[in-house]
Amino acid sequence: MKVIEIKHIVKIYTEAELEVIAVNGVSLDFDEGEFTAIVGPSGSGKTTLLNMIGGLDNPSSGEILIGGMSITSLKGSELTNFRMRNIGFVFQSYNLIPVLTAKENTEFVMNLQGKSKRECETRSLELLKAVGLEERVNARPAKLSGGQQQRVAVARALAAKPKFVLADEPTANLDSKATETLLEIREKLNRKENITFIFSTHDNRVVKKARRVITLEDGKILSDIKKNGSD
Amino acid sequence: MNKLVLIAWRNLYRNKRRTLITAASIFFAVFFAIIMRSFELGSYDHMIKQSIELYSGYLQIQQKDYFDDMNLDNNLVYDEELIQTLSNTAGIKAFVPRVETFVLASTGHQSKGIILTGIDPLREADVSNPEHLVIHYKLTSENLTLIQQEITLPEKQLEQLKIFQNTGYNNLDRLSADIGLKPHEFDLYRKVFEKYCRVPGIYLSELDDGLLVSNRLAQFLRVNVGDTIVLMGTGFQGSNAAGLFPVRGIIHIPSPELDNKLVYMSIQKSQEFLNLNKNISTVVVNLNDADQMLSIQKELSGKLDPDKFVVKNWFEINPTLKQQIEGDSVSGQIFIGILYVIIFFGIFGTVLMMITERMREFGVMVAIGMQKKLLSRIVSIEMIFIGLAGTLAGMLASIPIVVWFNHNPIRFTGESAKLYEDMGFDPVMPTALIEGYFAWQGVIILVMVILACYFPLKKIRKLKVMDALRA
Repeated sequence: MKVIEIKHIVKIYTEAELEVIAVNGVSLDFDEGEFTAIVGPSGSGKTTLLNMIGGLDNPSSGEILIGGMSITSLKGSELTNFRMRNIGFVFQSYNLIPVLTAKENTEFVMNLQGKSKRECETRSLELLKAVGLEERVNARPAKLSGGQQQRVAVARALAAKPKFVLADEPTANLDSKATETLLEIREKLNRKENITFIFSTHDNRVVKKARRVITLEDGKILSDIKKNGSD
Repeated sequence: MNKLVLIAWRNLYRNKRRTLITAASIFFAVFFAIIMRSFELGSYDHMIKQSIELYSGYLQIQQKDYFDDMNLDNNLVYDEELIQTLSNTAGIKAFVPRVETFVLASTGHQSKGIILTGIDPLREADVSNPEHLVIHYKLTSENLTLIQQEITLPEKQLEQLKIFQNTGYNNLDRLSADIGLKPHEFDLYRKVFEKYCRVPGIYLSELDDGLLVSNRLAQFLRVNVGDTIVLMGTGFQGSNAAGLFPVRGIIHIPSPELDNKLVYMSIQKSQEFLNLNKNISTVVVNLNDADQMLSIQKELSGKLDPDKFVVKNWFEINPTLKQQIEGDSVSGQIFIGILYVIIFFGIFGTVLMMITERMREFGVMVAIGMQKKLLSRIVSIEMIFIGLAGTLAGMLASIPIVVWFNHNPIRFTGESAKLYEDMGFDPVMPTALIEGYFAWQGVIILVMVILACYFPLKKIRKLKVMDALRA
């Protein structure tokens, strides 16, 4: 079942009166439960593509359908609402809310969705346990290591049971052990919750684990390889 | 909502120094604005009270044409019906009949046009209380020399005594206040001052045929207690009024204008002198609560026959004082306004800084699904917390000061006191009691906090997620 359908999207930035084509006519589909790595050199359009899939940025042309619904026509609060209900985000620099504890950060999107206190608590504790942070539920981000913060960020992204999770260079700031742990967690949760994961990455360890690897160059798809046996 | 309050609260705690600085700036704004306004309003109240209680009263009932033509022919009958109407009106503290006219006062040396006011010596105590104006002590260069021969006064007080030469006092406590001595400090010298400064002078009795003459006027006419003054004028319906009257006492009136031209006579004697029978010029009314003046004026105007009577308030009787207070009040408000503007930009800068440095955080929150309006709400809650804390603390801190100076007003001494007295004001500066103005300062500051949030909140509403995430 297709979760995401991208139809010939183009993104053009204008910088100092010069037009820069960041994404150039990309068309892609992502299935449910798929783990995809988008790779490519810096400036190849990975982050721009991810931002457009996540509704953070609008394509200059083309269309993106999520669960059959076009998000390119959504505006302002509708789009924010759509992101809250359908997409989980993991950022390179974690971006946890500094004044909230690990548990509160995990519950944050569920709170926005209006879930009950009990439901939020059960789900956040379950996820924090799954990412191995059951001992640090009441710690604030400043008291957590980079790897721990990224695990909280993963728990936060998954808490509201999104249709898919977008992760922009999630392992860029992590050491190899933390990267390994994060990938194991992702694998476990992917298996359990059948959530689609799309990572943009430079990291070979991530690429090895991905079932599908899309390579971008100059905003175009250079290759789209679906592996058998990975993950 | 609880989560928003929690985030807002923790954000304040996250940057304690910034929170404290912002709250402190609001605290000082509220604190100084309240203290300043309180002294202003307290001084106005005191000036009004002094002026009104000294002479004019809050309300005056006059014959309908008297206000425009202060002629004794426009007199009114002070009958039982009028007395009953006033007695049955709630909020009236006291009312007294008066006869008032202009006459010529003459001694062997000088002549001058003066205001002759006929008063009921007993009942007038409830309104202007002129008995407390009768001079019993006077400081002259001669008696100051005698005092110095007997006691050694501190240098500072000696200098100040020279400033108050020829000023009349009803009691020595006022003199001690003018030279900056507390009553117990003055007790050391009291007997000597009693001995050398005492001057004769008594208040009027009910059927007295004598006069109380204001101090400056007495000095001009060169009369003293026991001397006589010739009064000449026009009585009722153009009749001649002339007579020779002994001076019973000299009165010190804080208003220099009145002190130059006022003579009190018993009302009965003035009615005889001016051929008024039992008629009078005005009824002066004092009230329990000045704030009720306009409503009582309206009530009385409704009760009294408009073809015969008119009820005037002190704004109409003494428009100069009203304008003076309004003018002063405006300048005070401008000063407070400037203080508010400075504080406004302080708050504005803090909110703007608070938002700018958290732009990335806001970007993340919106990216993961938080509506911008909720984000605005968090920032608003933070500012309301700071605003309330600063405002309440400022209000609480000002209460003891306002209460203290209301009960123990600042009293000027020496040159400053003389300056005040020469302008006709009591040299004291009390604070106003805690009333509406107190809450208003708080409300104004909170409104400013809300206004200061407007632009930064607009910035949140226009936030672009991608730009914020890159911040």
